[in-house]
Amino acid sequence: MPIPTIRNTTRYVCGAGFAFSALVFCFGMTQDDAAPPLAPLPDPVAELNPLQVELGRMLFFDNRLSGDDTMNCATCHDPDKGWGDGLPLAVGYPGSLYFRNTPTLLNVANTRYFFWDGRLIGSDMPTLVRDHIAEAHFFQADGRLVIERMRQTPVYERMFADAFGGEPTYGRILNAVTAYVKSLQSRNVPFDRHLTGDENAITESAKRGLELFRGKAGCLRCHHGPMLSDSRFYKTGVPVNPDIFYEPLRHITFRRFFRTLGLENASAFREDPGLYAVTKQDHDWGRFRTPTLREVSRTGPYMHNGVFATLENVIDFYNRGGGGDARKDPLLKPLGLTEPEEADLLEFLKTLSGDQITVERPERPPYELRRLGEE
Amino acid sequence: MANSTVHATSSHASMPGLSPALPIAALVVFVLVNGIILTYAFQSGSVSHATATDETALNAQRGPMTTVGLAHLNHSFPKLAAIAPTPPVPPDNPVTPAKVELGKLLFFDNRLSGDTSTSCATCHLPDMGWGDGNAISRGYPGTWHWRNSQTIVNSAYLGKLFWAGESLSLEAQAKSAATGNLAGNVDPAMAEERLAQIPEYVRLFKQAFGVEAPTFPLTLRAIATFERAATNSIDSPFDLYMRGEGELSDAALRGMVLFQSKAGCIQCHNGSLLTDESFHNLGVPKHPRFEQDPLSQIALRYQHYSRGVPEEVYRTADRDLGLYYTTKREADKGRFRTTPLRYLEFTSPYMHNGVFVTLEEVIDFYDRGGGDDPDKSPLLVPLNLTSGEKADLLAFLQSLSGSELLIERPELPPYVPMEFAITESAP
Repeated sequence: MPIPTIRNTTRYVCGAGFAFSALVFCFGMTQDDAAPPLAPLPDPVAELNPLQVELGRMLFFDNRLSGDDTMNCATCHDPDKGWGDGLPLAVGYPGSLYFRNTPTLLNVANTRYFFWDGRLIGSDMPTLVRDHIAEAHFFQADGRLVIERMRQTPVYERMFADAFGGEPTYGRILNAVTAYVKSLQSRNVPFDRHLTGDENAITESAKRGLELFRGKAGCLRCHHGPMLSDSRFYKTGVPVNPDIFYEPLRHITFRRFFRTLGLENASAFREDPGLYAVTKQDHDWGRFRTPTLREVSRTGPYMHNGVFATLENVIDFYNRGGGGDARKDPLLKPLGLTEPEEADLLEFLKTLSGDQITVERPERPPYELRRLGEE
Repeated sequence: MANSTVHATSSHASMPGLSPALPIAALVVFVLVNGIILTYAFQSGSVSHATATDETALNAQRGPMTTVGLAHLNHSFPKLAAIAPTPPVPPDNPVTPAKVELGKLLFFDNRLSGDTSTSCATCHLPDMGWGDGNAISRGYPGTWHWRNSQTIVNSAYLGKLFWAGESLSLEAQAKSAATGNLAGNVDPAMAEERLAQIPEYVRLFKQAFGVEAPTFPLTLRAIATFERAATNSIDSPFDLYMRGEGELSDAALRGMVLFQSKAGCIQCHNGSLLTDESFHNLGVPKHPRFEQDPLSQIALRYQHYSRGVPEEVYRTADRDLGLYYTTKREADKGRFRTTPLRYLEFTSPYMHNGVFVTLEEVIDFYDRGGGDDPDKSPLLVPLNLTSGEKADLLAFLQSLSGSELLIERPELPPYVPMEFAITESAP
């Protein structure tokens, strides 16, 4: 399996100089010269209970998980839009607009941290689901009410009994959605086939792009491993998306969110503080998690604030050495990629998308009447 | 007994003439009258309608000493009285014009609900008696509430709000309504940030409270102040009459006697608010909606669950448990706070579940001795009211409504984008 050459990574370290050493210090860990290699996706999560997955699929598309019964997981994680929403910034609960880009759900079972600011831990997906149900800017639903809605739906009562051996509970709702989301995995990815020895899996241009990815373009430094992400946090100097500040509904949501994380001065922010809001460490200001690049050709617009519409914009951005921010990560330097090299890099990125994962939208099972007072 | 009644009213009629000069005689007459009213209360339908002289007789009841007792209950009750010209005002939230102005806007503003669909006025519509006209309130989108929406009118006079008296102030009531998952479902921090995005509100909050930014607690105070200052009805014929500023029809006057005697209403509907603000189980019939609408069943079970009743109660309850949700005391199941009676003309349907559309139905219900709940209050017994008596009682109840309180919906101030510049360094 190819690994980055020592020569390339050494050049990075030297090039970054003292600033990079300081960065390493800040991380409190050693950045190896050799980043972990690229790797195929791990096998799908094996221990998933198919009954829970099927129940989770139903719940994923059911508006009754939202407070006013108007939105579901697929509102923002649309199977037909790469399991994102195709928008620069997510919509959010009616009456609000969110201030970050919706990431894809494909392969999220392999994610170490959730959200652009990494505020939740990847090993605990039920908490991620709960956060979406409860958060004022997502579903704004009281869990107790959601339970009653499930219990008023005999189809669900049966499915919960089959999948969990009991009636709908909040925990079981979260676990069912988790099971379904964990089942969402890329299939038949050209790049993975290439890694496992299929010489014809990707084009010659993509192969050149892969070498650039590993070498001159320096992408591998952060985008590595099976998810093509190091799960760390960087400030790349992505331009501000002014919509976050000038669209009233977004700025409301923006300020309110940071207040809930304890930042009372959010109205003074002129950019998204990113990881800082989670850690409250100054050096984390404006840092965002390295996103996966899997399925990336289907998941535009790009970056935490969706400020780039196309992958060409993204490549161009990195070729310039990232944004103009003074506190930008020193890893980012102008790359000097030629136009053909940029095209090759793009060609490579496209090989990270597998077969289109579509799914049949289930019919919403109806509420039924019960005889009150009788179980 | 018809003679007794006439006799009583005749005696009573002489009271105004006697009392200034002969207080002892007046006392004798009072005792006599009370005795006769008690007798009246025990009659089963043979009582004739009072004569024209009753009006004078009843005028005397406005005197300071009148407390009508019901012998079979061995109890006396706060006397009926005109409503105070203004409701009590909490010392920490005095009424100011600036707060009233702000509160009025907020009362009508949908942005104080989670999905910006619902304002206070969604379930408390001025032209629906400041309720919503539904048996069971519509509630928040995706839900249906489980209780009738009560009128805002004169709510500022009450010490206990909501059907089971769950809130003790308008401020607390507004908070529960705004944040309740079946009502406003709003996150308070979201509400605050929405208001902060509306410069006109920022200005009005500063004007009303001297603050730089709107807060949720101050929002509640402003709404409560609006309700306290602008939704009072103090001009009902009954109130005018009790203040000596107007007359009641003969029928209403007879109804007022019945109210305090044979019909027994005074047992709970007493004092100047016409409520004891205590809790009673009337055995009000279940509203069929709870057998026909899944959302209503969800709401009821959600109420059981979220209020923390024991699991067995959650699984077996088939109706609104009223005060029990708060106390978890068996005896409190099905007990609801006595409603005040002013403004009734505009607040149909009636009861906690809106099961009665007309006041006639309500009167019939009490005439039957209430419903058939095994835990029904012993205060409720069949009344044996004649149709004439029912008509009189209705006339009295109708005298409790003054002019309709209508209000023009204010134009709401808009969101305005922030004006600061985002200085972005060039690449």
